[in-house]
Amino acid sequence: MAVLLALALGSLVTGAAGCGSGSGSGSSDKTLVMWTFKQSHVKALEEAGKGFTKQTGITVKVQAYTPDDAYLTKVQAAAKTGDLPDVLEVHTNGDDLTFGGAGLVSDLSKDVDSGWLNSYLQQVRVDGTVTDQYYQSSLKPDSTLKGIKLGQRFSVPLTIGTFGIVYANKQRLTAAGVTTAPTTWEDFIADLAKVKAKEPNDSGVSLGLKAPSTGLEWLMQPMAYGMLGADRFHALWGRDNTTNFSSPTGTQVLDTYGKVTPYWMPGTQTLDIDAADLAFAQGKSTFDIGGTFTLAFLAQNGFDPANVVTFPVPAPAGGAINDLSLAPFTLTGMSVSSTTKNRSGAIQWLKYLAKPDVSATFAKEALDIPPTNLGSDPDSAVGPVLGAMIKSFGSGPSAYNPGDTTYKPDGYNSGDVGAVLMNFTPLKTKTSAQTGAGLTKLIDSYWAKK
Amino acid sequence: MSAATTVQRPPRERRATRGRTRYHRSEVAWGAAFVAPAIVLFAVMGVYTIGYGVSLSFATWNGFTPNWTWVGLHNYADLLWASPTYAPVVHQAALNTLWVMIAVPILTVLVSFPLALLLNSVGRMRTVLRSVYFLPYVTAGIAVYFAWQYILEPDGAINLLLRSLGLGSLQQPQGFLGNPSTALPTLIVVTVWSSVPVSMLLYLAGLQSVDSTLIEAAQIDGAGWWRITRNVLWPLLKPITGIIVLLNLRDSLQGFQTFLIMTNGGPGNHTNVLGLEAYRLAFLSQLSPTLGLSSALGWLLFIAAVILAVITQRAMRRAT
Repeated sequence: MAVLLALALGSLVTGAAGCGSGSGSGSSDKTLVMWTFKQSHVKALEEAGKGFTKQTGITVKVQAYTPDDAYLTKVQAAAKTGDLPDVLEVHTNGDDLTFGGAGLVSDLSKDVDSGWLNSYLQQVRVDGTVTDQYYQSSLKPDSTLKGIKLGQRFSVPLTIGTFGIVYANKQRLTAAGVTTAPTTWEDFIADLAKVKAKEPNDSGVSLGLKAPSTGLEWLMQPMAYGMLGADRFHALWGRDNTTNFSSPTGTQVLDTYGKVTPYWMPGTQTLDIDAADLAFAQGKSTFDIGGTFTLAFLAQNGFDPANVVTFPVPAPAGGAINDLSLAPFTLTGMSVSSTTKNRSGAIQWLKYLAKPDVSATFAKEALDIPPTNLGSDPDSAVGPVLGAMIKSFGSGPSAYNPGDTTYKPDGYNSGDVGAVLMNFTPLKTKTSAQTGAGLTKLIDSYWAKK
Repeated sequence: MSAATTVQRPPRERRATRGRTRYHRSEVAWGAAFVAPAIVLFAVMGVYTIGYGVSLSFATWNGFTPNWTWVGLHNYADLLWASPTYAPVVHQAALNTLWVMIAVPILTVLVSFPLALLLNSVGRMRTVLRSVYFLPYVTAGIAVYFAWQYILEPDGAINLLLRSLGLGSLQQPQGFLGNPSTALPTLIVVTVWSSVPVSMLLYLAGLQSVDSTLIEAAQIDGAGWWRITRNVLWPLLKPITGIIVLLNLRDSLQGFQTFLIMTNGGPGNHTNVLGLEAYRLAFLSQLSPTLGLSSALGWLLFIAAVILAVITQRAMRRAT
């Protein structure tokens, strides 16, 4: 009987093993597998991979899994079954630290030396490392970063950029008599009105509000930062009812933001980010709010980059910051999985992509901004549109940095906060004061969890 | 010699004792060997996953960190009343779910029963018509829900139709899914659209099994179409109605595919339902450790489904 049972169980176990524990990512000494969540990066990485193969003999296979949520689930499942690839593209200072704390990706702090780091722009060199702020955050009960240690590095930058870039259809602006990009929020609203008067049907602003955080983070926040300056802006997320969203200042910010309400593209609240960008590419809207990464998607979908005017979300006239700019931060990075069989090859690949010429070629192909220093004339390396975006980057207190979340409570969920904001605009189901109170109530609940 | 002494004992290895049959060891071994794969599979796929899910509902975890943090019943309390972050969202989702649970079964019965009557009375083309009406069920899926999205857009087919019929005032400038007051009713209609085919087939099967002599007797007694339908067919088909209501209640309580694809709970959480909220807590929470909350919500839904099933079963017993 025991023999029979053993046979039955053995066959099951063998079968299960055959299904589950495979050989990981299919990598070897001569092949690396890299996963990305950006379709627009696949071709550019493959092109870079050809040069890498010539230099090292190692082939790089790039596989995309989209959208971001599906990518995370894929990584989660692969980690359970031991099928992680050699290299993963990650959201820097987010996924990379979570994966690192969980032991999915390896610590690169001993591999990334100063020579390698110097190839990156000064302001993004630290991105991907565990700073004291992240370490302290990891110690809190609801932290997503549990397990990280001070000084570890779990990724190196691949692309940089920022949110809060307005894309406008140049032909339609010209037709409406708008010849220069607006420099104040009021000018922006006036331009929206001019275009609407000229072209009532397809003049609106598209934004993927099906993901409600976009309205909050890509449009309202940059405007509010320029209006209030850093300290008063940060206070909106605080617990002091005289300075947060429920205060008169908060109401004033929301009222200013609400001036965009008549100009939303009809139905933009039902579109996801890609669909909103697609609406702009197809001419259903004249303005599109996105980030530096949006250009690649527009070009992929047939929109001529020469017909686009880009400018950062402007600050209101008379606001705290007259010359509002946007600070770049690392959007995506690359991590090496802890289960790779070819760690040295993976490290070589990361280092190869950090070379300024390779990085520029990748950026030009992917229509994304590289983390490397392209000198004083980025146009020649990455083209005029990306070059203009790079030139518009700023630093210091007059630059809004969307990557800075130090003033927000742990466990803060921008999607839920954005959903409250949506009730004010575009949905118009709540007043600015009610919305301010709702925002404060939700943000307070995050603070209370601490 | 007594009769008892003449009766031979059954074979030693397979004799019945007090209603139980005893088997030889080798037979037991073979039986066990054949049953073992099923038991192991059930242990892995059933018991293990259920146990895993239950235990996860008492912990916080984001799916990546090495360890769970045990929190006891806090997840359940947070969802139901304690957390100012999660409880209001769950309450709103519960209210939306309740509307769906009321509207979908009622509308499904109201549409599918007359449709089945109509189809049952059609002499020609019955098979073709049955296939046509069954199409929504066999085609339902992601592609169809995307198609619905296009139809419901501001410049979609429904607004166009309303405009061309001179009913412009009924148009939705933001689209039927973009207006918070029409988004949930619209999703209910789409859900009903996808649930009518099976319900209609169930009714049709019931109608075709009704003894024709009952109808004839009613006709002889002078009953018209309406009277036969109301007093003969409807009572006879009550058990089927009960099944349809139960199936739709369960789908409305736990299903969220339509909501995820078409609105993702929006605009601004106005179409969030409990099943979708559980999914969002599990997979769309920006790596927050909310898998335990998701699991707890799943078990709360399970308990609600069991209670519903018991209530419906009792109601059906009384009705029949």
